[in-house]
Amino acid sequence: MSVSGPRERAARLLRCYPRAWRARYGEEFTELLIADLAERPRSPARTADVIRGGIAARLTDAGLCGFAPDGTERAGQRARAGLASLACCAAVFLGLGGAIWSQLTIGWQWSAPDATAAVTTVVISAAMLLLAGLALLAGLPVARAVAVRIVRGGARDLLGPSALFLGGLVVMVVGGRHFGNGWPGTGGHPWAHPGPVPGGVAAFCWASTLSVSSFWAHPAALAAFPPAELTWMALSPLALACLVTGAAAAVRRTELSPAALRFEARLARAACVIMAVFLAAGCAWIADRSPRPGDLFHPGVIDVAGLAGMALALAVGCQAVRAAR
Amino acid sequence: MSENKALDGFGRYAGPATLILASLAGGAKHGYALTKDIESFAGVRVAPGTLYEALARLQGQGLIEPVESQDRRRPYRLTAAGATTLQAQLDAQRRVADVGLRRLAQGWGPA
Repeated sequence: MSVSGPRERAARLLRCYPRAWRARYGEEFTELLIADLAERPRSPARTADVIRGGIAARLTDAGLCGFAPDGTERAGQRARAGLASLACCAAVFLGLGGAIWSQLTIGWQWSAPDATAAVTTVVISAAMLLLAGLALLAGLPVARAVAVRIVRGGARDLLGPSALFLGGLVVMVVGGRHFGNGWPGTGGHPWAHPGPVPGGVAAFCWASTLSVSSFWAHPAALAAFPPAELTWMALSPLALACLVTGAAAAVRRTELSPAALRFEARLARAACVIMAVFLAAGCAWIADRSPRPGDLFHPGVIDVAGLAGMALALAVGCQAVRAAR
Repeated sequence: MSENKALDGFGRYAGPATLILASLAGGAKHGYALTKDIESFAGVRVAPGTLYEALARLQGQGLIEPVESQDRRRPYRLTAAGATTLQAQLDAQRRVADVGLRRLAQGWGPA
């Protein structure tokens, strides 16, 4: 083993930890690892312990576990980390839920739903409306704080997240409108029957969530898709990820007053309740369905998988809300 | 164990946290010195990841604080709040030990 071996190994192990943790403890932790490596060159238990510690530190950094620290500043950082994680979870939830919602609303425009599908569509539509309102309300204090910092100067750390957010938003809006308007089956067409949701909104949601598709499991069928649509199916999740990552990074890097954090925490709790109602309605729809030929409201495996993903996102989001309090 | 509130949130780190506080009661130490000291008086080796997770929590609660040092190995020392917490924790453990020892002395035997 070369002289620099232990330091290199310590540096590799240190990469398990998040950047902020490395900035604070990295140097001293490296020294401890080097001393430990000199004493016990091979120890799988030590490696496992460091990896586990790194995962725990990353979850704590994301506001998903750990404990409430002392001090207003550290508590504020933890609350913002929790809010940022909730934003990511809500985006996953809405991405998967939006696919189910657009399926139901578009189906309504082409055939009358039965009672369960009708109730589910109305409940989910109300939940989507409320969640959109909450997202708007939650975004206002953050957008104001970001704008104030940019106007005053010295907000270089916010330029990247802002650009990521705006870039993702532009791609999603332009792409969603382009593909939503391009297919009459989305309901944005004069032949369609009126449903509870405007056809254009349903079409936009359908196009935005086009990537949530069981066609990924059928490459032969996927190959028959127009190239532009295939490109959009691959590009839209990336654009959504940019949008959410930018928003989450901006939330983490923006100082918010205690009052604003309390306001955001209340909105976060309300969002979790609404998401739970959304999920319950979706589960009721899945549980109640028996397949009928030609049924536009028939749920598929992708819907079951979507609801499972939404349940997971909600569970993680609830954990994040505990940190944001 | 109502006196033990300060370590309530430590969960599985309450054990390492108590060992760290007990070690720092003897003076400021850096990570490796803590590991060796704990090994000498408690017979257990606290792994690096566990040690630093407990250190971060203890520091976050204000029970320990870093000492200024030119060395890359930063030492930590006990705070007044940490000493109070350690006292409460050890008192609680002593009560459990006293009860157990008294019951053993009163004539434990296989049924």
